[in-house]
Amino acid sequence: MMEKMIFGRYIPVESVIHRMDPRAKLIIVFLFIFVVFLANNPMTYGLLGVFTFIALLLSNIKISFIIKGLRFLFWLILFTFLLHIFFTKEGELLVSWGFIKIYEGGLIQGIYISLRFFFLILFTSLLTLTTTPIEITDGLESLLNPLKKLKFPVHELALMLSIALRFIPTLMDETEKIMKAQQARGVDFSEGSLTTRAKAIIPLLIPLFINAFKRADELATAMEARGYRGGEGRTKYRLLKWDLRDTLALLILIALSVTLILLRN
Amino acid sequence: MQRKMRTIEITLVSLFVVLIAIGANITTIAPFLVVGGVPITLQTFFAILAGLILGARLGTISTTVYMVGGLIGLPFFAQFKGGIAALFFPTFGFILSFILVAFVCGKMVEKKKTVTPYIIAALIGTAINYIVGTNWMYFAYLNWAEAPEGFTYGMAWLWMVVPLPKDIILAVVAGIFAHRMRFSVLTKGQFKHLRIGA
Repeated sequence: MMEKMIFGRYIPVESVIHRMDPRAKLIIVFLFIFVVFLANNPMTYGLLGVFTFIALLLSNIKISFIIKGLRFLFWLILFTFLLHIFFTKEGELLVSWGFIKIYEGGLIQGIYISLRFFFLILFTSLLTLTTTPIEITDGLESLLNPLKKLKFPVHELALMLSIALRFIPTLMDETEKIMKAQQARGVDFSEGSLTTRAKAIIPLLIPLFINAFKRADELATAMEARGYRGGEGRTKYRLLKWDLRDTLALLILIALSVTLILLRN
Repeated sequence: MQRKMRTIEITLVSLFVVLIAIGANITTIAPFLVVGGVPITLQTFFAILAGLILGARLGTISTTVYMVGGLIGLPFFAQFKGGIAALFFPTFGFILSFILVAFVCGKMVEKKKTVTPYIIAALIGTAINYIVGTNWMYFAYLNWAEAPEGFTYGMAWLWMVVPLPKDIILAVVAGIFAHRMRFSVLTKGQFKHLRIGA
């Protein structure tokens, strides 16, 4: 189970992308979702592809690993592709086989849209592959800092994210333990109708919730005992540092968008 | 937010975020929850519970934190995935709807003592989840995937018929469960001092 969690997650290797400031990575990934929609002809899609693959190479992560993590995506892309192949009726008729008619427009559109999803997910997954979750949370907190003036609870948000992140493995393990314990006591999860099975999750949920409440209570007590009193005046152990390479990466992305705007139809 | 969060509220909301994330991945621990090929995800179930148990304010905060965390790349969504690309998945609308679901469920049972309003709120929560989710799915295919004209609104809804029976049953279970949690566990005994949901 733990392998499943780590799988497709942060990969601790050395690379330029790993060393980048998480804030820069967050901004770039956020901007990229708009940039990817700029492409609309072979040239622009090609350029986008080259950009994505260079970023992948720079990250020093094995391509085979990334492809493995993208398997779930296969169905989404296949579905979108088929949707276009069968329903778009533009351009020349390429294949006519019984009721299946494939048009040129549909094929091209199907390829484009699939590529769009592929690049988008490939590139954005780089963020989680090269940045530890705690860095991401710190980066988000720092980026949202201006919102503090609007009374938006930035510090609380980041804190809640970090706590949730910390407790996912713990509560997962607990759920598994509770399930085994209840099975040992004779709860049968695997048989019966939908209603019986839905009812069978109650002996799983009650201990799980009580456990969660207990942990929340203990954690709050521990925090207050150590003097937690909100985000004001709190100092940080890990400090973020914006470097030249972060500015450079941002400029490259802007250059890419400008080129795409010039080259698109 | 009108008032500052208490420490216990911060930790409780965080643990509900974890619970929703576990709900999204329950089949990885409990493979038996697959009935006739349809995996019983408990994501919506937990989002409803967040509203019913924690109330509208904290429930809305926990579903929002869940969504934000997942979007910036923390492993909160199904298959422990996360990332901004999820915004473009046809199913993202369901995650977005959780915020509204938790809010409405929480508001509906404020000051209610009997179990019936809890079940009704949970059923309405499920309906909201379906309406927002399916419309998003339709528009996602229409706009981001630039779906051609053959893809109709009815086709999007056809998808939702399969999980409907299990979601209705789960909503009833959620209503009964939340009522018990609130009145037999949270407001009594060892958790009384937390002053949550009272």
